[in-house]
Amino acid sequence: MSQAASNLVHTVSGTGTSADDPSSAPTRIAISGAGKKYGELQVFKDINLTFGNGEIVTVVGPSGCGKTTLLRCIDGLIPLSEGEVKIEGSPINGPREGVAMVFQHFGLFPWKTVYQNVAYGLKLARHPAAEIKEKVPYFINLVGLSGFETAFPYQLSGGMQQRCGLARALAMEPHVLLMDEPFAAVDAQTREILQFELLKIWELRPLTMVFVTHSIEEAVLMGHRVVVLKGRPSGVHEVIDVDLPAPRDRGTLGHPRFTEVREHVWSTLMDEVRAAEFEV
Amino acid sequence: MTQPVANTAVPQPGPLYRLQQKFASTSVAAKIVAGLLILVAWELGVTFFAPKFVARPTNIIAVFPDVITEPEFIEATLSTLFAVLQGLLIALVSGTIIGIAMGRVKVFDRLLNVYINGFYTMPMIAVLPLLTIWFGYEDSARLATIVFAAFFSIAINARDGARSVPPEYLEVARAYRARQRDVWFDITFMSSLPYLVAGFRLAAGRALVGAVIAEFFVSLPGLGMYILSHTRSFAHNEAVVGVLMLAAFGLLFEATMNGVMRRFFPWYRREDRKD
Ligand SMILES: Nc1ncnc2c1ncn2[C@@H]1O[C@H](COP(=O)(O)OP(=O)(O)OP(=O)(O)O)[C@@H](O)[C@H]1O
Ligand SMILES: [Mg+2]
Repeated sequence: MSQAASNLVHTVSGTGTSADDPSSAPTRIAISGAGKKYGELQVFKDINLTFGNGEIVTVVGPSGCGKTTLLRCIDGLIPLSEGEVKIEGSPINGPREGVAMVFQHFGLFPWKTVYQNVAYGLKLARHPAAEIKEKVPYFINLVGLSGFETAFPYQLSGGMQQRCGLARALAMEPHVLLMDEPFAAVDAQTREILQFELLKIWELRPLTMVFVTHSIEEAVLMGHRVVVLKGRPSGVHEVIDVDLPAPRDRGTLGHPRFTEVREHVWSTLMDEVRAAEFEV
Repeated sequence: MTQPVANTAVPQPGPLYRLQQKFASTSVAAKIVAGLLILVAWELGVTFFAPKFVARPTNIIAVFPDVITEPEFIEATLSTLFAVLQGLLIALVSGTIIGIAMGRVKVFDRLLNVYINGFYTMPMIAVLPLLTIWFGYEDSARLATIVFAAFFSIAINARDGARSVPPEYLEVARAYRARQRDVWFDITFMSSLPYLVAGFRLAAGRALVGAVIAEFFVSLPGLGMYILSHTRSFAHNEAVVGVLMLAAFGLLFEATMNGVMRRFFPWYRREDRKD
């Protein structure tokens, strides 16, 4: 299937309408035979994954197993050592239009206001000023930061900073959103609020999301599938389908199936964590 | 082996501590009281222990209005002020460009770092005789001294700032497909700014020293020369007014810097106030 898609789509334009149509290109991202080495250190190898249109895939795995590295490779920030990543059929060799990343470290520029931070990508992509003026407030509002347009990052709480980072990514209107533990640095309540808000935003505009997290709950709540990375070098240990009813919301947490899947992911991961503990 | 007695890690909220707090939050009135105390101590010290020609506050205050309205003094002040500003501007632009280039381009750093550091630590007074011969006994020798004094601390700090751009910022810039130009002017420059400010503050002090020393050597009609000639002719009170004017330059500089930072870089120095 991805083979066919890659043959069909060779235009670089990230806004190709054919790619938006699920029937013609259901695969948004295809990772095949992916491996990454830092010098001698083989971080992961032989990863094969495909992500569908509008699918949310969460990635869990022990610390240091290469989740961030994998996301960087998908975004094209660093090259793979083996294999390739194709997005909408074309191989990745650098950051490209239509793909946006939300960083664990927020990555807001302290010298820019919320407005300027959110406008950052649009400005770099040379969007017309009128369009920027229209879009930026829209996305600031979408993440619930209205009224803070002129605030600087130091004036924001951790949760608000991450909202700002999210708005900056969403403003690019990406087809693919890569999220690296976006809520790891905020407190539990804020985290829950942000999770449900993100789900709501996704309902509004379903885009392909690759969501790395340390939290098993979060992985099961957000993901249509959960990818478990394991081993050393790590590889895909298991891909778990999360067959929970849509839309996901607070009720999902009380669903009996939610508990089942969560336990399943937990025991899969815990074997690894225990093994790692004995190793040290 | 005596242990300091009253030195505990946590300050006890006793009366002394509260007094200290009061002074830490310095009202203008407290500053004026402190200044007056210094003046009184000075006056008494000179009256009882020093020869007659040593300047004392009452005499200085007496000559003050005459001196600051005297054309010679005004000319000297403006001459020094403009030379320092001009030299600082040259040093700021060239030092920032060269420093940032060194911080971000390895080749530059390898080539220049030894020299920049060497010249920075070398006392500038050592090159002054040479500069006066190369540039002649005129304004340009003073300007060269000021630039020489200011340049290296600006370049060194700009280099350090450019080297310590957080990799996260560069990653974000790359993810949003920033062009090289945008990375230089937006990310590298802006995140180096705290370093640039620190370097510039240092440079301003050194520039002033450079200006005064150059005037001593070259006999230019500046404040340094004014102080020197009045000292030699035993007009010590007038000389002290010149010294005070130099101190005022420092205060003026600080106030201007703070104003500029607040106005144009409101985010600056706020990060460390997070909690
Ligand atoms: N730039 C780099 N150079 C060399 N080694 C690196 C580099 N970046 C990461 N690594 C190594 O690669 C491995 C994977 O790192 P990565 O950050 O991808 O892990 P992670 O799964 O995201 O961990 P965490 O859950 O703690 O965020 C680690 O062993 C790390 O030390
Ligand atoms: Mg990580």
